[in-house]
Amino acid sequence: MYIIDTIDTNDTINKINNANNKANDMDNKAVDNEAIHNEASDNKASDININVNDNIDAMYSIDICHLYPDILNSYGDMGNIIALKKRCEWRGIRVNVHNVTIGESFIPEKYDIVFLGGGQDYEQEIIKDDFLNNKGNEIKNAIENGKVFLCICGGYQLLGKYYRTSEGKELEFLGAINIWTIGAGKRMIGNIVYKCDFLLSENFDGLIVGFENHSGKTYLGPEVKPLGKVIKGYGNNGEDGFEGAVYKNTYCSYSHGSLLPKNPAFTDYLISLALKQKYKDFTGLGKLDDSIEDQARNSVIRRILGR
Amino acid sequence: MNFRLMLSILAAKTAIVLCRLMHTGGTSFPGKIALKIYPDLLKAIAVNFKIIAVTGTNGKTTTTRVIGQVLKENNIIYISNKSGANLLNGIATSLIEAVNIMGKSKVSTALLEIDEAAFSKVTEHFEPDVIVVTNFFRDQLDRYGEVYTTLNNVIKGISKAPGSTLVLNADDSLCASIGRKVNNRVIYYGFSPDSWNNENYTVNNDALFCIFCKTRYNYENHIYGHLGSFSCPECGYGRPASAITCLEVTELTSSYTRIKLDIDGYTSDAKINLPGIYNIYNCLAGAACGFALGLPVENSLKALSSFECGFGRMESIITEGKTIKVILVKNPTGFSQVLDYLLSENNPMQLAFLINDNAADGRDISWLWDVDFEKLGKINDKIITAFVSGIRGADMAVRLKYAGFDTNKIIMTDNYNQLLDRALASTPEGSTVYILPTYTAMLEIRSILKRKFNLKEFWE
Repeated sequence: MYIIDTIDTNDTINKINNANNKANDMDNKAVDNEAIHNEASDNKASDININVNDNIDAMYSIDICHLYPDILNSYGDMGNIIALKKRCEWRGIRVNVHNVTIGESFIPEKYDIVFLGGGQDYEQEIIKDDFLNNKGNEIKNAIENGKVFLCICGGYQLLGKYYRTSEGKELEFLGAINIWTIGAGKRMIGNIVYKCDFLLSENFDGLIVGFENHSGKTYLGPEVKPLGKVIKGYGNNGEDGFEGAVYKNTYCSYSHGSLLPKNPAFTDYLISLALKQKYKDFTGLGKLDDSIEDQARNSVIRRILGR
Repeated sequence: MNFRLMLSILAAKTAIVLCRLMHTGGTSFPGKIALKIYPDLLKAIAVNFKIIAVTGTNGKTTTTRVIGQVLKENNIIYISNKSGANLLNGIATSLIEAVNIMGKSKVSTALLEIDEAAFSKVTEHFEPDVIVVTNFFRDQLDRYGEVYTTLNNVIKGISKAPGSTLVLNADDSLCASIGRKVNNRVIYYGFSPDSWNNENYTVNNDALFCIFCKTRYNYENHIYGHLGSFSCPECGYGRPASAITCLEVTELTSSYTRIKLDIDGYTSDAKINLPGIYNIYNCLAGAACGFALGLPVENSLKALSSFECGFGRMESIITEGKTIKVILVKNPTGFSQVLDYLLSENNPMQLAFLINDNAADGRDISWLWDVDFEKLGKINDKIITAFVSGIRGADMAVRLKYAGFDTNKIIMTDNYNQLLDRALASTPEGSTVYILPTYTAMLEIRSILKRKFNLKEFWE
């Protein structure tokens, strides 16, 4: 991939946001930035699609369960499945995605990672009976036994004990983890940046970016840990400064965006967790070229935090 | 003598002139002032017009253009609001422009594009003669909320206009449901079940379950998204019979389409002057509106083959034997339809994705992950370069990478002038640079194209 004058991203954003910006600025910039990075097209560093490095993980395979993919899939939740799948495949790890919807059995032994996305009220209403009564026990047990789960927004709330609407009506949810949600009048909408200590490494600052859009305020019981500390945004409830929840190997977040594609460190963390459970000899994932993902992540961080 | 009416019109007209002088477009501000001064202004001046209103998620602007051409072919002079001025204030500005200081107008027809979220507010002021509803798809969720919220909003608006004739999409279970909920006169348009079947159909959840009883629909065929010949096995709700029907798609090219069209029993071949399956719907809606107005079928057919679109909807510029086409993208279904259209392109092409996340674009760009970019794999060899730009250009690059697109062919830039120059320089003659911008990016790129190629400004 070629990048033309990337350093000016902030600059451009300001410009675009500035309603009064003179169209001439663009012209001036064109002159300022004549230097297009004209690397020769045989630049091998960017051959990411066929990136299989020294660590060939081809002996591994991963089974991903996507719960209600046809119904709970608003806000680009599909991106999380695509990210898990692609980052495995680029490393030669085989991936099977099991789509499990209403009326189909949830068989936890078959899956290494389970994904539950968000839906709007209408969709959550449609799956609720099947989720609580047909799959509920298996899901609860799987979570208790340490299966890797990723749950976003509505999926996050559904795992909790209940949702109390702003009118005071209490809707009973699964109670797989000790969290609960209270409906609030004002929707919490916007970009969010938070820091996940469990992702910190020499090469990674632990900052995760996403987009939140929820009116429920979620609170965590004592045995549930937050996913991260909010740097900018609302997070679980806009009050305590935390975002998401972690219980055993279940990871919950309000972040869309989609969450995983732009935060490859988190994606790889979940894949590693699942592979570690499945293969005793698993030592770690090979590195991929994440320059495009980093750029997308950093541009949000710069924009939101003004860094 | 209504002095408040006159004062409000005078104030708005002055504001319009000032806005033009300052080159700010000014499509909503004058109307806002006028309504502040005289809240009943629209009620007072709307009675002068036969009003045709167009609303829905996708295709409003193009459908409005088609209807405009239908009117022209019938020598009906009309006024219209410009796309992007489709909220209450913008509509007020357009009507004020057309009337004199007494609130009277020589033109007696108004063709108005109305934002689906603003629709119910607008019908508080006047009752349109015809209301055309295109479709309902999930759209910028941070702005519009659930698709059902939008639908209910439109129904609320229609309930204030019991005398309006409704023109509804029979293939959209959400849109067609309106016909069951109100008592207005209804004319449906759509594809006959055997006319087209989308083989690339992917499950989309906008309306998977019956709106009346929540049972999963059966489909005889799929057109795109949730559009198709649906039926509910439980309560019996299904695609209503349509008076204006596409019987067959006889020719699909990258510049036009031919269909066999039935207008209330009168069958003929029709050429549609824009490519893409989704534009067939816009034309069916336009023809249905002509039918609702009792206009001759021949004139409607003429209109379909001659209308021209603009303002970022397949807007074309030809320069040195190369074409630049601007196609607005604003939600998953619309974007997917544009990609389907690109699949029909036979020549090598350049793509430029300009993705912003300003308020008018929707702040949340998660929706890019609901667009099936994976299908670009089918035309990989034809795509010379994919330029990505805009505030969220990097997000777009990530999306393309995860769709399996060759990252060596992605060029990221935040300079539209450079982008255009580079894209044109590396485009062979006879080929096209497709620019796919979100709304505010479209405004930006148009202003550059305007200076470079003398494109008309949108309030002209």
